[in-house]
Amino acid sequence: MSTIRVRSPASYWLAAPAALWMLGVVVVPIALLVWVSFWGGRAFSTSSPLTIDNYARFFANPVYVKLIFGTILHTVGLMAVTGVLGYCIAYFLTMKVRSPLWRTALFLAFIIPFWTSTLIRAIAWVPFLGVNGVINQTLMFLGATQSPIEAFLYSRTGITMAQVSLYTMMAAGPVVYMLNSIAPQWREAAMTLKATPFTVFWRIVFPLTLPGVVIGQVLVFLNVMSDFATVATIGGNKHALLPNLVLLFYESSQHRAASVVAVLLMLCMLVGVVIALRVVDIRRLGAER
Amino acid sequence: MIGWRFRLSLTSWILGTVTVLFLAYQWLPIFTLGLLSFSGPTGGTTFPMNGTSLHWYQEVWRATVMNDFKPPLLRSSLLALACSATTIVLSIMAAQAMRGQFRGNGWFFYLMLLGIMAPGILVGFGFAIMMRLMDVELSWDTTTFLVQVSWTLPFGFLTMLAVFNRFDRKVEEAALTLGASRVTAFRRITLPLVLPGVIGAGLFGFSLSYDEYARSMFTTGPDATLPLAVMAQLDRQLTPEIYAVGTTTTLFSLIAITIFTFAFWAMRRSTNLERS
Amino acid sequence: MDTLAYESNAREAVAPARARRELDLELRNIRKRYGSFTAVDGVSLQVEKGQFVCLLGPSGCGKTTTLRCVAGLEEPDDGGILIGGKEVTRDPPWQRDIAMMFQDFALFPHMTVAKQVGFGLEMLKKPRAEIVQRVNQVLTSFEIASLADRKPASLSGGQRQRVALARAMITEPRILLLDEPIGALDYSLRETVMLELKLLQQRTGISFIWVTHDQNEAFSLGDLVVVMNHARIEQQGPPEEILQRPATAFVASFVQGNNVFRGTVKEILAGALRVETPVGTFVVPRPMTGSTPAPGTAVSFSVRAELITDALVERHVNRLSVRCTAVEYFGAVRRHIFERSDGEVLKVDQFGAQAARIVPGQTVQLGWAADAGFLHAVPSP
Repeated sequence: MSTIRVRSPASYWLAAPAALWMLGVVVVPIALLVWVSFWGGRAFSTSSPLTIDNYARFFANPVYVKLIFGTILHTVGLMAVTGVLGYCIAYFLTMKVRSPLWRTALFLAFIIPFWTSTLIRAIAWVPFLGVNGVINQTLMFLGATQSPIEAFLYSRTGITMAQVSLYTMMAAGPVVYMLNSIAPQWREAAMTLKATPFTVFWRIVFPLTLPGVVIGQVLVFLNVMSDFATVATIGGNKHALLPNLVLLFYESSQHRAASVVAVLLMLCMLVGVVIALRVVDIRRLGAER
Repeated sequence: MIGWRFRLSLTSWILGTVTVLFLAYQWLPIFTLGLLSFSGPTGGTTFPMNGTSLHWYQEVWRATVMNDFKPPLLRSSLLALACSATTIVLSIMAAQAMRGQFRGNGWFFYLMLLGIMAPGILVGFGFAIMMRLMDVELSWDTTTFLVQVSWTLPFGFLTMLAVFNRFDRKVEEAALTLGASRVTAFRRITLPLVLPGVIGAGLFGFSLSYDEYARSMFTTGPDATLPLAVMAQLDRQLTPEIYAVGTTTTLFSLIAITIFTFAFWAMRRSTNLERS
Repeated sequence: MDTLAYESNAREAVAPARARRELDLELRNIRKRYGSFTAVDGVSLQVEKGQFVCLLGPSGCGKTTTLRCVAGLEEPDDGGILIGGKEVTRDPPWQRDIAMMFQDFALFPHMTVAKQVGFGLEMLKKPRAEIVQRVNQVLTSFEIASLADRKPASLSGGQRQRVALARAMITEPRILLLDEPIGALDYSLRETVMLELKLLQQRTGISFIWVTHDQNEAFSLGDLVVVMNHARIEQQGPPEEILQRPATAFVASFVQGNNVFRGTVKEILAGALRVETPVGTFVVPRPMTGSTPAPGTAVSFSVRAELITDALVERHVNRLSVRCTAVEYFGAVRRHIFERSDGEVLKVDQFGAQAARIVPGQTVQLGWAADAGFLHAVPSP
């Protein structure tokens, strides 16, 4: 018994606005992208003939094909770094920090930047990474290098550095959630069964947090794959990734080409999510305990 | 053999160091941005600051036609408030509908999840093409609003679902056995109890909309929102002025979070008092 | 029934055994504090080989913390722990010869029953074939072989309990620690499980240390019952001793079926004391050990409910008149609740087979013999 009857017709009316909104603004436009990517001819009209020429043209250019693999490689690298870093941080916060006050303070310190603009946080890396940036000044002050290193701003390294700071908490958050759902007795029971802390971690803690790790990785994967703003801010246009290509084609009004890249990007993401779901059944999350 | 106690504390120290270093890594750029925004009139985009001044804040205030951040700030704020309000209403409705376990609620759930998973660049681009086919003029207060709600709504919905899951159904049942109708029980009992969650949903709505860039970029038209204006300025010229804007808007976000958190805390406290 | 004679028999049975057997566990003055809260305060205990020990007490009395100190999950601030004669106070759990069964069984949610039960052997680096064989053997003997491939989430409470027990017992530890092991089971299951566990303990000769707040469990299972309160041991001994001769007012009131009286010593007789209480003056035997309290000392004593009667004869020298408020019938006994003139409750038990004699509302004259009372060592505050 609750304030809404099971299978009440009212629930359809309550769900309808949200469902229509999501259908109209998310599902239909994305389906439209797929359609447009097959348009032939020159005119931007719904009566265009369907063809795969757009795709053929895209794959004929080795630069573009390399860009797909470059984007995936960059994303996978970032997933590895944020995954390890995020797990360490999540483990420290939930398992090692005993005082509730410290824990709350540390959590806030991690969460607050998350609520501010990603764009501004990406821009904040610019004074750090430049030729005369803070990193180079520090390195030169320490005597680690004689002349400034140009490898930071407008480089893959710089992009990676900024993205690690932007996305590590996405990898850590779900792990924190899963770590909190591990009952202390499970670890204690393993210890009384002669498991050393190392074994307890690998046999009990890690398997139980695996769904959190996978969800975190999916979040990082989706965000990095589609992050063009950080790349544009820090990498300039020299180090474009797949999503920047969408933007590039869009700005030059090549809608069909932009659609092709968008569809390919979407396919990459779908494959990634499907692989992740193979590893962990997200729908069964929390169902067993 | 090294003692197990030593190894355990060594692990703690290593993990602790990683955590603290990462915190520094995350915060240092933000602090540097704030610091550099106060550099002197001849200061560049990096150290040295060449003195301290409010010069760059005055620059922002004394806006030229090309880079006037005040109208975008106003637009972004209004848009964020509108998204926040819409998110609150729609997510309460949607979450309450989920409790009715209507046929197809599984699909509905995935539809909402899709809103979070689908990247902004695809949604924005697709929606822009749709608007073009439908011959609709792009504008920050119509098309951008529609797209941004599709981004903020799923977060609010998940928040409300979590709140409803945790909430004690017996309280509602008690109200119903006392003769309240379903609608009255929802309005008088359920809603006040889930109010902290409502505020959480509102915060998501506000904050995500205020900072959204990718979706807005494709759908906004000539009158830019704040993130768009900032990005445009970055493309034109990098000066400490952009740091001043960044610092201001970050402070603005922090103030908004504080207000929401305080409201959240006050609400929770008052409902707790009622419970005890 | 002559309680004193029974007591001395029990003592004779235990005394030579104590000298002969080695100790599985010895606690020497264990102390554990959490900030300003003292969880365990000077607990000393000796557990002989193959003994069934029950730690009994209200929640928060320190019994679980004591158990966790034995397991190595908590480290005492002070004192020593010896398992099988070996000092282990600073050793971690995985280096101790113990196993533990947790309150809600703490089954690993991601492991099948077979994996779960074999975990302990895996940790001992046993060969795979031996593990498989032993697991099968143990699953069969615990009658859970059919569950081998199931995960804990799909098991019933009773099945989980068996899995947890099998998991703990498979390594044949010296001591099995059980933290409220049947508290999570349905009431109807508990008695069967208790009996099974008692038989298992007797068969294997593994020492059991069983923590519970349920005195029925403690008294029906334990060879040795340790009653704890406020981080200290109040009394330890065989069940009969605790039931018949509660050492303190706390034990007397915690254990079922005791009536506690508080008063002051009025006069010392031969072999007895006369104690003045708000509801009358009663004769109580002198303590068998320790000094006799001087006249004027505040004391407390208890009288078991079954030793009070309304069928008064000459030897029932202690008498008082009370009004019956309720009668509860349990089959074996019929319990009468009386209201004392000081507002407290007096309980009187009568064999259930006898006909009911007292009805609620009735005021009756009750009495007990001079040797029925038992003086406590420490009066309650």
